[in-house]
Amino acid sequence: MTDVKQIVNLKFTLNGKAVEVDCEAEETLAEVLRDRLNLTGTKISCEVQVCGACTVLVDGLPVSSCTLLAYEARGKNVTSIEGLAKPDGTLHPIQQAFIDEFAFQCGFCTPGMILAAKALLDENPKPSRDEIVHFMDGNICRCTGYVPIVRAIQKVAGTLESKHHK
Amino acid sequence: MMPLRRFTIDQPKSVKEAAEMLAHHGENGRLYAGGTELLLAMKHDLLRYEHLVDVKTVPDLNTISVGNNNLHIGATVTHRAVERSAEAREHCPVLVDMEHNVANVRVRATGTLGGNLCFAEPHSDPAALLLALGAHVHVAGKNGERKLNIDELIQGAYETAIAPDELMTGVDIPLAAKSRRAAYMKFQIKERPTLGLALVLDVDGGNIKSARAVVGSISPKPARSDQVDKILAGSRADVEKRLADAAQELAKVADPVDDLEGSAEYKRHLVGVFLKRAFIKALS
Amino acid sequence: MQQEKKKGDFRVVNHAIPRRDGRAKVTGRATYVSDVKLVGMAWAKVLRSPYPHAKIISIDTSKAAARPGVYGVLTGNDLEGINPYYGHAVKDHPLLAIGKVRYVGEPVAAVVAVDERTAFEALEFIEVKYEELKPVLTHDEAMAKDAPLLHDRVFEAGALRGFEGDTTAGKGSNICQAHHIQWGNVEEAFKNAAAVVEGEYYFPMTYAYAMEAYVAIADVNDNGVTVYSSAQHPFMVRHDLKAIFNLPVSQVRLVVPFVGGGYGSKSYTKIEPLAAACSWKFKRPVKLQLTIEEAMLTTRSDDALTWMRTAVDANGKIIARQAKILMNTGAYAENSPLVVEKSTNRCVGPYSIPNVQIDNYSFYTNTVPASSYRGFGCAQVTLPGESQIDELAAKIGKDSYEFRVMNAAKNGEEFFPKMRPFEGSLKQDLDIAAKALRWNEPAPKGRAKSIACSTSDAGAYPLTSTAIRVHADGSVTILTGSTELGQGSHTVLPQIAAEELGIPFDKVHVMSSDTAITPYDRSTGASRTTTLMGSAMIDACREAIQQMVAMAADVLKVKTEQIQVIPGGIRAGEIQLNWSQIISKYYALPDGEVIGRAYIRKAGRFAQIPVFWETVSTGVEVAIDEETGKIDVEKLVTVGDVGLAINPALAEGQDIGAATMGLGTGLYEELVYEGSQLMNGSILEYRLPRFKDTAKEIELNLVENQDGAGPYGAKGGGEGSLNSMAANIANAVARATGVRIRHAPLTPERVWRALKEQKAK
Ligand SMILES: Cc1cc2nc3c(=O)[nH]c(=O)nc-3n(C[C@H](O)[C@H](O)[C@H](O)COP(=O)(O)OP(=O)(O)OC[C@H]3O[C@@H](n4cnc5c(N)ncnc54)[C@H](O)[C@@H]3O)c2cc1C
Ligand code: FES
Ligand code: FES
Repeated sequence: MTDVKQIVNLKFTLNGKAVEVDCEAEETLAEVLRDRLNLTGTKISCEVQVCGACTVLVDGLPVSSCTLLAYEARGKNVTSIEGLAKPDGTLHPIQQAFIDEFAFQCGFCTPGMILAAKALLDENPKPSRDEIVHFMDGNICRCTGYVPIVRAIQKVAGTLESKHHK
Repeated sequence: MMPLRRFTIDQPKSVKEAAEMLAHHGENGRLYAGGTELLLAMKHDLLRYEHLVDVKTVPDLNTISVGNNNLHIGATVTHRAVERSAEAREHCPVLVDMEHNVANVRVRATGTLGGNLCFAEPHSDPAALLLALGAHVHVAGKNGERKLNIDELIQGAYETAIAPDELMTGVDIPLAAKSRRAAYMKFQIKERPTLGLALVLDVDGGNIKSARAVVGSISPKPARSDQVDKILAGSRADVEKRLADAAQELAKVADPVDDLEGSAEYKRHLVGVFLKRAFIKALS
Repeated sequence: MQQEKKKGDFRVVNHAIPRRDGRAKVTGRATYVSDVKLVGMAWAKVLRSPYPHAKIISIDTSKAAARPGVYGVLTGNDLEGINPYYGHAVKDHPLLAIGKVRYVGEPVAAVVAVDERTAFEALEFIEVKYEELKPVLTHDEAMAKDAPLLHDRVFEAGALRGFEGDTTAGKGSNICQAHHIQWGNVEEAFKNAAAVVEGEYYFPMTYAYAMEAYVAIADVNDNGVTVYSSAQHPFMVRHDLKAIFNLPVSQVRLVVPFVGGGYGSKSYTKIEPLAAACSWKFKRPVKLQLTIEEAMLTTRSDDALTWMRTAVDANGKIIARQAKILMNTGAYAENSPLVVEKSTNRCVGPYSIPNVQIDNYSFYTNTVPASSYRGFGCAQVTLPGESQIDELAAKIGKDSYEFRVMNAAKNGEEFFPKMRPFEGSLKQDLDIAAKALRWNEPAPKGRAKSIACSTSDAGAYPLTSTAIRVHADGSVTILTGSTELGQGSHTVLPQIAAEELGIPFDKVHVMSSDTAITPYDRSTGASRTTTLMGSAMIDACREAIQQMVAMAADVLKVKTEQIQVIPGGIRAGEIQLNWSQIISKYYALPDGEVIGRAYIRKAGRFAQIPVFWETVSTGVEVAIDEETGKIDVEKLVTVGDVGLAINPALAEGQDIGAATMGLGTGLYEELVYEGSQLMNGSILEYRLPRFKDTAKEIELNLVENQDGAGPYGAKGGGEGSLNSMAANIANAVARATGVRIRHAPLTPERVWRALKEQKAK
């Protein structure tokens, strides 16, 4: 192990605001967000890029912040769950749909789910069920059985058919 | 948390500089692209490096371009960029199809084609398909450039022909001829494919002039043989009858072993199932 | 039974009110222990055993302890002054290995350092010398005559009460626990049977994967022990910590904020003793946050190897069932003795069977300790139980759904000696499932349907207390020991309080799961929150109302008999007062409060165990790719016999969530051991249900006959739809292909192999 500490002076845009923070080269984006910037909405679970709990958007694309180095954020636009609601507290339509459709239980997967859904809807505002499933397949939820999450996304897309599952 | 052990990151500005940095660090350094493989292995303490050399700061390695005979994909192009590329879709739709199903959205957004090939993880979709398509990679070092086909590049599980102070700069994939029919199909239950089957056919009406079949993920490196390809050439009706023979031969070449993905016997069986399915898909 | 109000009468209860924790959870503001930092907090990291069974010869921590930023290293040799053993059933579990390691992954030492990275980096400088011992890995090895013993001494009993069996842990064999039930005359019945099916079934070890891994922050100081933990049952953990540190209950405090999933895996004490011991030794708050890969080395579910036979008479009536179950419990007992007892009981199923004998044994082995997992052993035995119902039906040429209906336990029937009579309407449930699946229409080619059901004697032990505070402005604070794991206690409980007090839902707030503040509640699990805490909530509200009636009488100078309770307040003649007015007038200030309390014990309507039967029917239609063996679930139906859904959307959410976990074990989930090594100890290799696995068609049904002992006739839910899913998959495969698979999960290769073997015959 090297004893040479490489400090990275990181400048990027976080949720629309410029930030500047010093971190070490080996720190992940999740560490910087959670520990250095105290934004704990980003959750850490599997740490191997499988579950998506740590999903944040970098230049609009979903990434696993548990493994992506913070260094990769330099000069980029980062969106975390804290950046979704409006400053006046109005929720983003996806957040509201998650509440309306009961699309979470414990809530641990939820920030990542919502950001993945945002990335999907930003590039494909009216995804089919299959497109939703394909895009979201890399986000795991152990509580809900996924069905209400698909419904929440369909609701935002305006493609939700019936009120009931039947 | 599984912390990463301490390392530094170098930012080369050219291929030559990257090669020099790698040479300088020796065993303590490694090239780093998206990090989706490398950092995981480092988290699990399977690999330890004190210095990472960021290949993404080398200009011009992240482009996709169309040449006279080839579709060129730079080494640091991400899976997602290939998936979304209009050039790739036009000139090599099977590649785009394959990329659409590699890993999950997040890995596709950061993981690179170069990183996938150079890690030589046996369960690679691109390696199998690119071998079937007859692609070449460009490798550069202090002493200039080399061109390797996929079979030469991948030596075995996690082993490539790239020297520690060399880097891959890109892949050239022969442009799709009108007569080319190709399909890539995989069977996947967990995070990586259990089996991938790539089939590239050159057809003339009802006749298959030549074929190239590759099975990936069931052996340390993607497997193919001239004999299998020979069995797969001929009139469509004849080839259909010989598909089982071809599959048997292909499974023999691949020589799968028992592991968590399944028994060798099951994998041999799957070769037959997916060769048939790929054949139908390629010709549909 | 508290069921004065009938379905349709409710204002707040029985409505799909949006979750109370919604805003916090969608904005990232919900706080989990992993998000908490204390001033002066240090971090611990754990060194784990590479051997399944070994003596610890020596541990040299000097190099690690000397590293910059390291406060110290704790080992099993440093625990003098505390009682280092804990455990819910028996106290067989040392908080760090003492002298011996018993599984690969067992904690051997903990580094405490200024931050997590420093603690982690120091781990590799600890030198441990082991002497390997012969490991015991399987049921067979554990039973062998010359098997090495995992535990050679008898341990003190833990907090497990309401547990009928005798714990055999540490008594000269590797049997951890045995449990038997028996009634009628099984031998006789099988002799006289018209048809019998018999077989051996295997249900694998699984991992619950709560997405938040175990985490605890402990602060041990002169005032006692405070621990912030992801525990499901803070009061149970308090019980263990009090004994470890030999403190009065009042000096042990557990605080549980939001929990990132539990599913039983966070029941009882896990890493809290280790975190607390680190804090005790190094005199500062310590955070111990496991990774998921470490969590996989902390708890799993018990597997079950079950031999079972079931018999019918000439009329198609089930007359006997016999089973012998072997469970692999791993290195420590944890809550497995209760799992053993429950799985024994749950072998019977929701049927009225006159002759029953079930013998169940769990074994200590050198593998990760097993403990509770959603359903408490029910899924393990419902695979054999519900498979045999289909096998029998096929054997006597009866439709399996009709066969179930014909043998179903009836409401009020004493189908299980000495237990609460069956409360539910299984026939109605099965009918709904059959209709939803269009049971009488043939499945399309390559597909098949299955219906299955289960009933569980709910694990909930009735010991619950609660308090509500009605404030002078009319708002209310509920004090509840129930933890919010996602099941919705923060929504359901205020719904009940709002209903009772006749006030809007928005006026009721929840303060939960802080043992220093919230009254005692035994646990949050076994689907008990709605039934027991819900009932306590009603009682507490009614007690508060009584007090406020007395206050109103005092203020208005009338007799209490002249006062009538109306929604939100009282009326006395012409005068109406709401709660706020009563309290303000009583204290003659716009301040003060009224505290309503309730205590629930094993008495009255909860005298009889179980406090409810959790009965669920499920159905699937699956497609089978016979070439690869891969199964896709096309349609999924659940029917929850819940009595009354306090919040229907939450009840449905529990059903689909549990069913999806059930599909996981039916199709893919299993922990694979090769020798002593866990081969798939990471989410990269442990295959969980994903978006792609969800059925395209889903129908979730609730049957609400208000026939439970809980609030307004409610019963618990949340485990049931998991239990029968593996059997459903196996039954559907059998119906489609004629091949009976008795080994879960039904992975593609397993299905392919079974089909191949059949063709070879
Ligand atoms: C959860 C998950 C699921 C996955 N699923 C699939 C799947 O379904 N199919 C599949 O095929 N793959 C899959 N992968 C693998 C994925 O494709 C690779 O992780 C990714 O492409 C690697 O690229 P990278 O840029 O991240 O490489 P890095 O991790 O940065 O590098 C990997 C290795 O390649 C070397 N390297 C990188 N670039 C170069 C270069 N230009 N020249 C020389 N050496 C270089 C590095 O030194 C390193 O040793 C999965 C990965 C994960 C984490
Ligand atoms: S925590 Fe990053 S993908 Fe699971
Ligand atoms: S809500 Fe708990 S994991 Fe998704």
